[in-house]
Amino acid sequence: MTQQTSSSWLQTLVGAGIVLIGLGLGAGAVGIPSEAGYGGVGPNFLPWVVSVALTLCGAWIVWEARTGGFRELDPALDAQRGDWPAFVWVSAGLLANAALITTIGFILGCTLCYVLAVQGLRRASGQPSAGSPRAWAIDAFTGVAISAPVFWMFTQFLAINLPGLTSTGWL
Amino acid sequence: MDILNALMQGFATAISPANLLWALVGCALGTAVGVLPGIGPAVAVAMLLPITAKVDITASMIFFAGIYYGAMYGGSTTSILLNTPGETASMVTAMEGNKMAKSGRAGAALATAAIGSFVAGTIATIIVTLFAPFVAEFAVKLGPPEYFLLMVLAFTTVSAVLGQSTVRGLTALFLGLGVGCVGLDQISGQGRYTGGIPELLDGIEIVLVAVGLFAVAEVLYAALYEGKVVESQNRMSKVFMTRRDWKRSIPAWLRGTALGTPFGCIPAGGTEIPTFLSYAMEKKLAKDEDKKEFGTTGAIEGVAGPEAANNATVTAALIPLLTLGIPTSNTTAILLGAFQNYGIQPGPQLFTTSAALVWALIASLYIGNVMLLILNLPLVGLWVKLLKIPKPQLYAGILIFATVGAYGMRQSAFDLYLLYGIGVLGVLMRRFDFPTAPVVVGMILGPLAEAQMRNALSIGEGKWTVFLDRPMSLVLLLVVLAVLVLPRVAKMISSRRRAAAS
Repeated sequence: MTQQTSSSWLQTLVGAGIVLIGLGLGAGAVGIPSEAGYGGVGPNFLPWVVSVALTLCGAWIVWEARTGGFRELDPALDAQRGDWPAFVWVSAGLLANAALITTIGFILGCTLCYVLAVQGLRRASGQPSAGSPRAWAIDAFTGVAISAPVFWMFTQFLAINLPGLTSTGWL
Repeated sequence: MDILNALMQGFATAISPANLLWALVGCALGTAVGVLPGIGPAVAVAMLLPITAKVDITASMIFFAGIYYGAMYGGSTTSILLNTPGETASMVTAMEGNKMAKSGRAGAALATAAIGSFVAGTIATIIVTLFAPFVAEFAVKLGPPEYFLLMVLAFTTVSAVLGQSTVRGLTALFLGLGVGCVGLDQISGQGRYTGGIPELLDGIEIVLVAVGLFAVAEVLYAALYEGKVVESQNRMSKVFMTRRDWKRSIPAWLRGTALGTPFGCIPAGGTEIPTFLSYAMEKKLAKDEDKKEFGTTGAIEGVAGPEAANNATVTAALIPLLTLGIPTSNTTAILLGAFQNYGIQPGPQLFTTSAALVWALIASLYIGNVMLLILNLPLVGLWVKLLKIPKPQLYAGILIFATVGAYGMRQSAFDLYLLYGIGVLGVLMRRFDFPTAPVVVGMILGPLAEAQMRNALSIGEGKWTVFLDRPMSLVLLLVVLAVLVLPRVAKMISSRRRAAAS
C-alpha cells in the first residue's frame, strides 16, 4: 500500500512537471511576435500549440496518477529500487568532466569521468573490490588508454577541436 | 537506362579507395554498435556528427549509412547469444534465436540472420534504386499541404501508435516540438525561447539531445537500476546451415523482405510492426514438425523472417528520407540532421541537385551489404568477443565518446552540463515509460513541418480548408485519422468480446 501511494505521488509530480513546462513555454510564447503575413499564423503559433498541448498532456497524466496510476505501465518499472550512490558516482564523473575539461584537457577530464563512472557502476553491480587501490589504478590506466587514442584520432585525423592540457595537440 | 547509368556513376564514386575505407569502417563500427548493449546506431551517428564539419559529404554519408545498417546485422548477434536484445528491432529475433541457441543451434541462427539480412538488404536496395527516382518525380508534384500532412502522419505513428500509452507518446512528441522551437524561426527569422543567450539562436544541437537521451541516460539508468542484472551468454556453435535449414530459411527471407519493404517506404516508423507481423506469419505458415519448434527448441523461420523484415524496412526507410525528407525512425532523423549540417535538405530535388551524392550512397549500400556479410559470417567470432567486455567499463567508456560528440560540435563546456541535464531527463522518461524516439523526431521534423504548414496556409490565404480542398491532402488527413482511430476501435471491440465471452 505504501509503495503504491509513493509511486502515485511520484507520478503526480511527473505530471505536474509537464504542466509546468507547458505553462513555462506559454509564458515564453507571450513574448514572440505574431505577425502572420499571408499565412494567417505567425512565429508564435507553434509555441502556443506546444504549450497548450503539453499542459493538457500534463493534466491528463496527473489525472491518471491520481486515479489508479499510469495506464499500461510495466509493473516491474514501478517495483525497482534505485541504487542512488551509484547514480551519484556517475553524475560526479560527468559533472567533473564538464567543469574541468577546458582546464585539464580532454584526456585527463575524460579519464576522471571514466574512473568515477566505473566506480559507480562497479559498486552498483556489487563488486566488493571496487574501492581497492588496484581497481582505481586499473581504471585510471584504462581511462587514459581509451581517451588518449580517441583524442588523437579526432584532433589529428579528423581535425575536430577538443581541448588539450597543452597546445601541442597530443596532450 | 538512366537509372543504370546513374547507378554506375555512383559505383565509380563509391569504389574510390577512400570511400571504400569509410564504408568498411562504418560497417565495422555499425556491427560493433549493434553487438554492444547500451549503444545503438542513432546515438553512434549522433556522436560522430561533429565530423560533418571536416569530412566531405559523400564520404560521411557513406560512413553513416554503414553504421546505420551495420547495426542491424550486429543486433541479431546479441539477441541470439545474450538473453537481452541489443535494440528493439531484434526483439523478435531474440524470441526464437535464443531458443535455438539454447538447444545448441546458435551457429545456424546466426547464419540465417546474417544471410537473411544480406538477401533482404540487397533486394530492398534494388527497390530503392528502382523506385526512389520515381517517388522523387512524384513528390515534386506535392505541395506544402501534402508535405505537412505526411509529416503529421510520421508524428502520429511515432508517438501515438507505437508506444504503450498515447498520452505519454504525445507528451514526448510535444517536448521534442518544444525543443525544436528554440532558435530562429525558419520563415520570419524571429528568435524564439532564446532567453537572450546568443548560443541558443542556433537552436539546441541534435547531438546533445540524442546523445543525452540515448547514451548518457542509458549509463545513468544502468547505474541506478540495472547493476545487479546478471546476463547469461549462450554457447556458440559452428556457423553452418544444413540443407533443411536452407530450405526453410529461403522462403522466410523472401516473405520477410516482402513484408518489410513496404513498411519502410511509408512514414509509419519503426521496425516493430513488420518484424512482429513476419514472426506471426512464419508461425502460422509452419507445419507439423517445424511448427512444434516455435517456442520450444527454436524455429529457424522465426529468426530468418523477422531478420529479413527488419533489414528490408531499415533499407527501404531511405526512400522517404531521400525523396521526401521525412525520417521514420531515430536514426533516419539523425541522418537528416547530418544532411542539414551540410546545408542540404533531402527531398524530391535531391535526386537532381545532388545526384552524384545520392547515387554514390545507394551504390555504397550494395557494397556495404557484401562487406557486412563477410564481417558477420566468417568473422562472427570476433564480434562475439565484444560481449565479454564487462558492463561497468563498457558503459563508462561510452561516456568518453558522448563527450566527444557533445563537445566536438560547438566546443562549449556549457553543452556538457546540458548533456547531463538531458541525460537525467532521459532517466526520468525511461523510469516512467515515456518513449524517447518522438522527442528526437519531433525536434528535427518539427521546424520543417511548421514551415510547410505556414506555407500551406499562405497558399490558402490563411484558410485552414486548404488541407481539405486538395484531394491528395484530404486522403492523407483521412489516413492520419484512421491511424489514430482504428487501433483504438479494434482494441475496444476485442476487449468487449473478451468481456462478453467471460
